[in-house]
Amino acid sequence: MPVRLAESSIPSDVSDDEPENAPLPTCTLLSVGQAFFGTQNVSSLQKDEAWRVNVRIQGCDLDHGYLCGTMEALNVPMADTPVITFWEGEIVDTNNFTFFTGKWGATSEDDIKHWTKFSSFSPLLSQVEKDGGKMLDLTNYPYIFMRWKEQYFVNVGTDCGLTIAGFYYVCFSCGDGSINGYYYDPNSSSSNRLMIVELPCCDSPFQKLELKSTKEGRSGFSFGLYELK
Amino acid sequence: MPTSASSSAPIASSSVSAQSRPVPQDLVGRLSSSAISHEAKLKALRDIKNQIIGNRTKKLSFLKLGAVPSVVGVLASATATATSRIGCGFIGDDHDLDSIIIQSAAAVGSFACGFDAGVQAVLDAGALPILFSLVSHPNEKVVDAGARSLRLIYQSKLAPKFDFFQDQNIHFLLSLLNSENENVSGLGASIVTHSCETKVEQNVLEDAGVLKKLISLLAGSMIQRDASLESLATLLKENPAAILKILGTEHRGALDVVTELTRDKYPRTRLLACMCLIVVRNSYPSYLQDVRTKTQLIAILLELLDDAGQVGDEAPYALSSLIAGKEDMQKLAFEDRVAEKLCKHLEKGPLQARRLQGIFLALADLCSLLECCRSRFLSLKGLQFITNALTNDNADVQAAACICLRNVARSVKNLSAGIFMNEPVIIPLVHLICDASTSVQVAALDAISNIVVDFMTHKTTFIQCGGLKQLVQLSKSMDSTIRLHSLWALKNLMFLVDDRCKETIFAELTQSTLRSLIRDPEAAVQEQALALVRNIVDGSVECIEFILADDALLFHEVVRQLQCASKTEVLVQGMYVLSNVASGTELHKEAVMTQLLPVRPGDNQSIMFKFLQSDDSRLRTAALWALVNLCLPNFPGTYRRVLSIRNAGISSHLKNMLHDPCLDVKLRARTALAQLLIPDA
Repeated sequence: MPVRLAESSIPSDVSDDEPENAPLPTCTLLSVGQAFFGTQNVSSLQKDEAWRVNVRIQGCDLDHGYLCGTMEALNVPMADTPVITFWEGEIVDTNNFTFFTGKWGATSEDDIKHWTKFSSFSPLLSQVEKDGGKMLDLTNYPYIFMRWKEQYFVNVGTDCGLTIAGFYYVCFSCGDGSINGYYYDPNSSSSNRLMIVELPCCDSPFQKLELKSTKEGRSGFSFGLYELK
Repeated sequence: MPTSASSSAPIASSSVSAQSRPVPQDLVGRLSSSAISHEAKLKALRDIKNQIIGNRTKKLSFLKLGAVPSVVGVLASATATATSRIGCGFIGDDHDLDSIIIQSAAAVGSFACGFDAGVQAVLDAGALPILFSLVSHPNEKVVDAGARSLRLIYQSKLAPKFDFFQDQNIHFLLSLLNSENENVSGLGASIVTHSCETKVEQNVLEDAGVLKKLISLLAGSMIQRDASLESLATLLKENPAAILKILGTEHRGALDVVTELTRDKYPRTRLLACMCLIVVRNSYPSYLQDVRTKTQLIAILLELLDDAGQVGDEAPYALSSLIAGKEDMQKLAFEDRVAEKLCKHLEKGPLQARRLQGIFLALADLCSLLECCRSRFLSLKGLQFITNALTNDNADVQAAACICLRNVARSVKNLSAGIFMNEPVIIPLVHLICDASTSVQVAALDAISNIVVDFMTHKTTFIQCGGLKQLVQLSKSMDSTIRLHSLWALKNLMFLVDDRCKETIFAELTQSTLRSLIRDPEAAVQEQALALVRNIVDGSVECIEFILADDALLFHEVVRQLQCASKTEVLVQGMYVLSNVASGTELHKEAVMTQLLPVRPGDNQSIMFKFLQSDDSRLRTAALWALVNLCLPNFPGTYRRVLSIRNAGISSHLKNMLHDPCLDVKLRARTALAQLLIPDA
């Protein structure tokens, strides 16, 4: 049975609802056209480094727990231009997707290890440990958890010295539109985005993504719209 | 007669041909002649029938010569003679007269077979009542001929609707269905298929026992089975009550028989049985849930596609109906490699228009919901097949290709990669939006609506191909459907477009056209026009000037709609226009303030207050965003605006909104309230 979560940080009791949960409700700050900016920390033991990052939401299909967009890394060393990738996201709505990734080389232990880095996840932990959180009802929860997987480089070749083999664990705050994420690549000893750098095993804080909703030069929030036929 | 050497051969050959194949004019002339023997008349009828069978061109040329009234004249005269003889007690075998009736009835049926102009001519000549009179003729061969012709006529939409609400008609229908003669009972079923269109008619027929009779015919001859399967589908379509009955004890096993017929040796029977099961499944979703039967249906329909005739033409439409709107079926079709098999048929080409249209519609349904299906189709060079079909000379094929393209272009991943925005796709589409057929226009406009979303910098390709000019022209169409669909495309074109492109689009569209579209008589058009303006004022701050230029006429048009429109969707788009304007400069914010807060004469509350109390969470959210933008801290006029908003009594209402059932509303209300509570200093 699903667990309905109040907007507070404490999950409510198990509800009597049907196991199939409704899609997550629309959050205007996560709608198509919305832009975010911030940094991705790519520091290593040898040096501190952070790339400036722009993200734009291009598609959102809550019924299928789907989100997609582009990510632009601005000051990538050795790259002549900003590097743009297209990513697709799985929204953890406990209907289409649970907290357990079940692919991309991530074990449930990897999942729990990453999700617990988000403080907003802690009320959900016990339920997620049981079954990936498939009984949770997150429709009224003010945070949206996602996995973003980059699919292709938009403006550079695959020989650009960067890898998109991993994916991000992402937490979006519906209240202020901030995004936090952790990059994870099970095939890389360091979960590092730089293919050319070999590092001893280190933890994901080096790969933290921090973004804020951007007003793009305006003194307020603006919302465009497209609708597919 | 002497002829030149060069022309002698063709004349000789023509003369030989004329000897072996009678000239149409002569044949028609012979039918009208009274001084002609029975044998000659019979031969003329046979010759006409043989010449026109399966030959539309011949049918048309005979039609132009007035052959149909002549044939029906012969039929009428022979039937009248036979009737009078029967009336006089003549019971002998009148072989010649019956032969004339049989041949003329058969010729009438041939004119009607699959040829609407022929059906119309047959109906105009008054053949229908004569043919119906033959059904009770003592000679079984005459009955067969009459019933066969009537069945062919009832396959056309032009046949008159049979009135099931008259008792004598229902009795007549039941007598047909109860007949031992397979052509007659088949005719009864064909009449049901043709004329039963409404729920009430379905009920009348079911109450009269037609459903039961049709089920019994499933065990009959091929003609009876096929006719019964078709009319069963008609009676069960969107009729869950009847389906429940058929699944119940009274008709136990009926659908098992239908399922069995999906494996019949005759392809047409297999197709009709599949179509019947699909109707049941679509009307009563809990039926046909097991994966094995669903997979079998897909496999049978794919196999039927190999049929070179009408069955193969119709199979893709049945497949379409099976998978349309159903994710589970599309997933199964994906796993069963339907895309590969349909593409193989496209590769084999050239295909007849009907079949090509069906295949594109099936592919369109396959790609309508699932990204995996779209990817698979595109990997099979699907886009190439579509672009080829866009220039097909058949309008139905063009429309189907557009629908398929529209659905494939629902892939944001591929839109983002810009794979659709290129000349081979855009040029034919731009051509098709000006087509004479509205359905082609609409299908092409819908495909364009998706393609122009393109997130790359390729929107100029569309403009350079002449697409913008055509869309703007169509947005002024007299037909509201065309206005709606073209505006939809313009709105998507305007989404996230760069400033230069935006200026080009606005210049082409003009402020006055936009204003008249905002006050269009159709609410759906108003909504799209306002959404387009919403995209104009999104993006850079400078773009807001587009609607504030020229005494802010466009801005005031938006406000006027917010004051008087009643449809929520219109109000939501209008409110986002104002919210986006309120994210601009101080001047922009002030312009919005002056419209949202005052209570207008005749109103009892301001626009802002009214929308914050809306039943629709989308409108409450839009209004809250405008409020958030107006009260954003650290701007020169914020304090003054906050005071005005507080004085309007909005704060207390916002407190209630903190408990709104919609999370988005609740969170925006919280932000807005926090902004309103900043210290007065």
